[in-house]
Amino acid sequence: MSFFGDLQISMIVLCSGLGLVLIGLWGILTQRNLIRMIIGFSLLDTGIHMVMVSIGYVTGGTAPIINDDVPMATAVSRVVDPVPSALVLTAIVIGLGVTAVMLSFAVRIFRARRTLMIDECTESKW
Amino acid sequence: MIKRIVILLVLLMLAFIFVNLAASYSEQTSLSALGHYYVEQGPSELGAANLVTAVVVTYRGLDTLGEVTVLFISAAGVGLLLRRTRRKDDHEDLEQGDRAEETAIARKPASEIVETATELLLPMVILFGIYVFLNGHLSPGGGFQGGAIIASGTMFLLLALPESHISRLMIAITESLSGFSYVVIGVLGVILAGGFLDNRIIGLGTYGHLFSAGAIPLIYVFVGLKVGFELSAVLDRFRKEDSGPL
Amino acid sequence: MVEGFITQVLLQPLGIYVVALGAGFLVPLFDRAHRSSAILLFFLALAGMVAIAGINLLAILNGAAPIQIETAGIAPPFAINLRFGLYEGGFVLAVNSIALLGALHWLPSLRQHASALLLYLIMVMGINGMVMTRDLFNLFIFIEITSIATYALIGMERTGSVLAAGFKYIIATSVASAFFLLGTIFLYYLTGTLNIDGMVAQRELISGPIGFIATLFLLTSLLIELKPYPANGWGLDVYETAPGGIAALISVGVSAGVFFALLKTLPLLDNYLSSIAVVGGATFLLSNLIGLKQDNARRLLGYSSIGQMGLLTLALAATVQLGIEAQLPLVAGGLFINHLLAKAGLFWLADLVNRNSTRDWSVLAGRPGRLLLFGILLSALVGLPPFPGFWAKWVLVTELAAGGLYPWITVVLLGSLLEAAYLFRWFTQALQTRESDTPDTIRLESLLPVALAALLLFATGYGMAVQLESDTLIMFLPLLAGTALWLLDGLPGLLKSLLMLVVVAAGGAWLTLDLEGLNRIFGFILVGGGVLLSLATQYRSDVRKGFYPLLGILLLSLATLLRAHTSLEFFFSWELMTLSSYLLVTLGRGGAKPALTYLLFSLAAAYFILAGFALAYAASGSLELAALGDTGSSMGLVFSLLAAGFVIKTGGLGVHIWVPGTYGEADDDFTAVLSAVVSKAAIFGLLLVAAQLGIRSDIGLDPAYVLGWIGMLTATFGALMAVFQEDIKKLLAYSSMGQLGYIVTGIALMSHLGWVAALYLTVNHFLFKGILFLAVAGVVLRTSERLMYKMGGLIKNMPFTFVATMIAIIAMSGVPPLTGFGGKWLLFNAMMEKGWYWLAALAFFSSAVAFLYMYRLLHTVFLGQRKLEHAQLREAPAILLVPQFLLIGIIMVFSAYPKLLLEPLSSAISPWLAGNLVWDGLSLHTHLGYWNAPMIMGVVAGVWMIPLLFLLLMSLTLKIQKVGQFNIVFAAERPHRPEDTHFAYNFFAHYDRALGFLVKPRATAFWNSIVEWSHTLAASLRIFYNGNGQTYALFIVMYLVVLFLVNGGLQL
Repeated sequence: MSFFGDLQISMIVLCSGLGLVLIGLWGILTQRNLIRMIIGFSLLDTGIHMVMVSIGYVTGGTAPIINDDVPMATAVSRVVDPVPSALVLTAIVIGLGVTAVMLSFAVRIFRARRTLMIDECTESKW
Repeated sequence: MIKRIVILLVLLMLAFIFVNLAASYSEQTSLSALGHYYVEQGPSELGAANLVTAVVVTYRGLDTLGEVTVLFISAAGVGLLLRRTRRKDDHEDLEQGDRAEETAIARKPASEIVETATELLLPMVILFGIYVFLNGHLSPGGGFQGGAIIASGTMFLLLALPESHISRLMIAITESLSGFSYVVIGVLGVILAGGFLDNRIIGLGTYGHLFSAGAIPLIYVFVGLKVGFELSAVLDRFRKEDSGPL
Repeated sequence: MVEGFITQVLLQPLGIYVVALGAGFLVPLFDRAHRSSAILLFFLALAGMVAIAGINLLAILNGAAPIQIETAGIAPPFAINLRFGLYEGGFVLAVNSIALLGALHWLPSLRQHASALLLYLIMVMGINGMVMTRDLFNLFIFIEITSIATYALIGMERTGSVLAAGFKYIIATSVASAFFLLGTIFLYYLTGTLNIDGMVAQRELISGPIGFIATLFLLTSLLIELKPYPANGWGLDVYETAPGGIAALISVGVSAGVFFALLKTLPLLDNYLSSIAVVGGATFLLSNLIGLKQDNARRLLGYSSIGQMGLLTLALAATVQLGIEAQLPLVAGGLFINHLLAKAGLFWLADLVNRNSTRDWSVLAGRPGRLLLFGILLSALVGLPPFPGFWAKWVLVTELAAGGLYPWITVVLLGSLLEAAYLFRWFTQALQTRESDTPDTIRLESLLPVALAALLLFATGYGMAVQLESDTLIMFLPLLAGTALWLLDGLPGLLKSLLMLVVVAAGGAWLTLDLEGLNRIFGFILVGGGVLLSLATQYRSDVRKGFYPLLGILLLSLATLLRAHTSLEFFFSWELMTLSSYLLVTLGRGGAKPALTYLLFSLAAAYFILAGFALAYAASGSLELAALGDTGSSMGLVFSLLAAGFVIKTGGLGVHIWVPGTYGEADDDFTAVLSAVVSKAAIFGLLLVAAQLGIRSDIGLDPAYVLGWIGMLTATFGALMAVFQEDIKKLLAYSSMGQLGYIVTGIALMSHLGWVAALYLTVNHFLFKGILFLAVAGVVLRTSERLMYKMGGLIKNMPFTFVATMIAIIAMSGVPPLTGFGGKWLLFNAMMEKGWYWLAALAFFSSAVAFLYMYRLLHTVFLGQRKLEHAQLREAPAILLVPQFLLIGIIMVFSAYPKLLLEPLSSAISPWLAGNLVWDGLSLHTHLGYWNAPMIMGVVAGVWMIPLLFLLLMSLTLKIQKVGQFNIVFAAERPHRPEDTHFAYNFFAHYDRALGFLVKPRATAFWNSIVEWSHTLAASLRIFYNGNGQTYALFIVMYLVVLFLVNGGLQL
């Protein structure tokens, strides 16, 4: 902990998440290959998930599961916020669904056009 | 090149926005009002030890039903996109039938190590998946996690035995019925308890036991099955995706 | 248990989810059994969703409280809740109904794949969820459900271009969703809740840099999903390539859901209202501008869709900004339902027609039923009555005026005009038969969803009318009559004509006979005159599909126009008249293209009028026409706007270029109605405005003086242009333009005598122009020619037509003894009285010019050498001559006893402008002199009788040698072009050398350059749509950055 000074854990996660968002967007915007763009999207998505998790962190908190270590009586002061965790779970599944559909589009585009380059898919315009 | 510079500039501006965001952020030192309520009331109200599960399955049950729907339509969408092109027989819809693999392309067999490891691990992986979704209300895990583990078992299988056969019929029946049952449980919540997706349609049972937390384990069983089968179906569809007209 | 299920679940809004999801999950299972059972389940579910929405909305409309739906048996904000109120109910019912119709339309493709059925079902459920949920993260889920289902359905066709467009769409919407998620989580961080109402209640917590950035992300995401310019290329590409079934649902369904999401999160985004308005307004204006350059039908619909969503966004932001949320159901609801039905219908129709280029839509030419549907959908989209968009735009514009947001009025009206331009250009292309076209293969039953959408447009339009107006039955009477006549459109032509005349005469009499004053006089001209001239329609016995219903609508809408008490009633009838007359012009042989010009100028005129009425409402707080004068300081502007609108409609100089084509190409009998009757509606409007506003001393006389000059210049140039016309109908068209110019000047005088002159000229113009156009109709019928030099000597074949024409020409020119003299005399007197000497001089000059072209008409058509092929022509049919001679009778009576006409005119004017005509017996006195019509009549009769008797005497006593027509010796040369031998060709060549420079088509050149310039601008504005998905994604990120900077991001 001392290495980072008094940097908060959630701040590290938050900044990494936001960084991943930027990297993901860079990938989407600059990589011409569809598969690489999809990877960019996955990075973007993961970055957002990290941001979400960091928002739910409460200083010194543990997982919001009541058990012998975290008795019901003191749980309120000992656990992290369960809401962002629940949201992240949902967001991950949705990201997965979108990625799957994106990938099948990529597959079909390759079948139909024998290319995976986004800038060769520009016949509809103006 | 100019385009790259523009992109760089735009992303730098976005980074500037993010810096502003992070600079004003400070870690929370206590639970939010919502989180506080869930931690305080969740165990007694719903009988779930895993509060994330309580939130996922009941408090935000509508989200989760939506989540299951998302997976369902993603799988359907992947199926629709990667359906086999009809060839000779226009009347028979090949994508429907299990005879799809008739024209499957021969693949390179997996190495012996992978095959053996799969045979050894597969039952355990699936068992573990079932364990994870059955105990979702008590310990880390739940329907989605369990389902994903089961699907990873399918992944193993497909890697080790590329020619192995997965019954589309079984998948279709399981995902349909488990999805429908989930909706039925939700509706029962309205009739027997306080509202749609209320888990208190059966007794909450003894707190901390396997059979507790009302309908949560039941819902997680359906979710686990559905997720496991749907992800397997998606994997299978990518595997059998036909080569199409060249 | 079962009963509980039905009452607590199925009949509740929640039932929509249960039905959709339950059925969705079961579709694959049913499909295993049999595909048709899956289809049945699919339709049952969709119909159930419609029914549930309908039942619950009905309950709310009957006064039930909005339904709050809690889930998990736990109260919000701890569990997700939904709401089903008036807005939610309306949106959900509309979307579900259109989805049901869309499913019917798209069934042939949907039924191919069971997964397509379930995706469609769940997509619709997702939109329902977006509308109903009150939880921000749940909203995200529903957005994603809808999006993923949309992706899959887009990709169903699997052709290269659809897939490419689909991928761009996925990338764009995924980035937008990512922004939404970021915004949501930080809003949770600030407020500790995900419930939207909870967030609104703690609005003060959403502040500081995080609050600013979180709402910015949310806003950007929703705006992007609404496809704002220029970050919308991905949407356009999908609209262009995707099947109509899914494109329609994206355009109306998904957009509706996102729009509703914006509506419900707007309390959180209240800092950005101006940004939202600018984004919406710019999108509406620019996408309609760019649409001008588009000739791909589906992409054109895309531009229109995007524009409509922009308008809706602007309307929403402006309504909230002005604090008039109570009007939101009318404005946003009306615009939404209008877009929903019209756009979906058009996408489906595009699917059925299945032609990419708008030019190839000519396959519809000659198919009245299809064209009718097409026209209804387009008219609705443009905001013509009686469709919901008309009412919504009215409320929007009047409220914008009341709130002082004038720039937005310009944006709304200009954008609407541009949209009308490309939509009706498309209609024009569909009207023109081309030889290369193969007949379309649309099956009748597949048009059912489109027809239902059109029907619903009428129903919802009437519903909105009831909300806004009390006298709706009278307003809708023309349409009812038109519908009744249309149902009888299969009858023989003559019978239909007769039925129409009976209906219009009865209805018109009922509507106008109890009117008083000016309205009564115009009642006689517009309705009585309309019926009289329409008698002539009996001369054609062909079927004329659509002609009689439209003519019925037109004439009856003129009657309701006269009855209007409020500006809304007036504008409704006005637009109905515009639309029906436009459609009638398209029925002419070459009418489609000139009709487009006519429509666009008419719409521009209508928008000026709308702006004027809106401004008047803003100033006086009343819609009563009688309150137009209470507009205080904005009086001058109101007057100018309204007068501008009416002058465009009279064909004032500079905006006259629609006149020759329209009058030239409309059916010959209809041209008579158009020129003699319909143009008088504009005169009525001008008089109305002048009576309420123009005569007020506090307005100053400058606008009126300008109007006077416009009128007289129009008269002069109209006459000059008529002089150089070869086409007989265009000659009369320019003549009409010029004659109306005199009337405008007369009104502009704002004096008792001036108005008497104007009204007198109005009646006179109706009389002689009716005769002339009907006479010409007879000539054209017999000769099949419109170029005058191809005629000649017809006096022998058509003596009655000749006599009628001659009398009409005398009545027109200001020579005694017929009515024209009185008109000119009154006008000159009035101008002298006012001291407008220059104008009087100009009037004198143009009267002389008018004499030239009339002389030519008479001379080249009826006198001179007869063409060989015309030797056998017969006189015009009696039914054409009857109205002409009836009109001649009226002319004769009024010529001999002008007091019969002048006294009612004078007393109709006196409530507005005091004054009366001074009579001494039968002669009228002014300070310049007197006019004794009976005496003049006597003198002229005497002057003519003496030579006539002398000639008759001579012919009896002298031996007369008849010269055969071809007893002529030519000089040695034969010219190359046969028309050069005709004296009538280029008849006024010598004047052309002297005055021709005055009539160079400058106005046409000017308007052409405007068109060209808009196209160039459109071309440069659409360079962003380069087809590259990455560019599109970049624009989305840039949108966020720009919104950040514009809203003061650097000051954080």
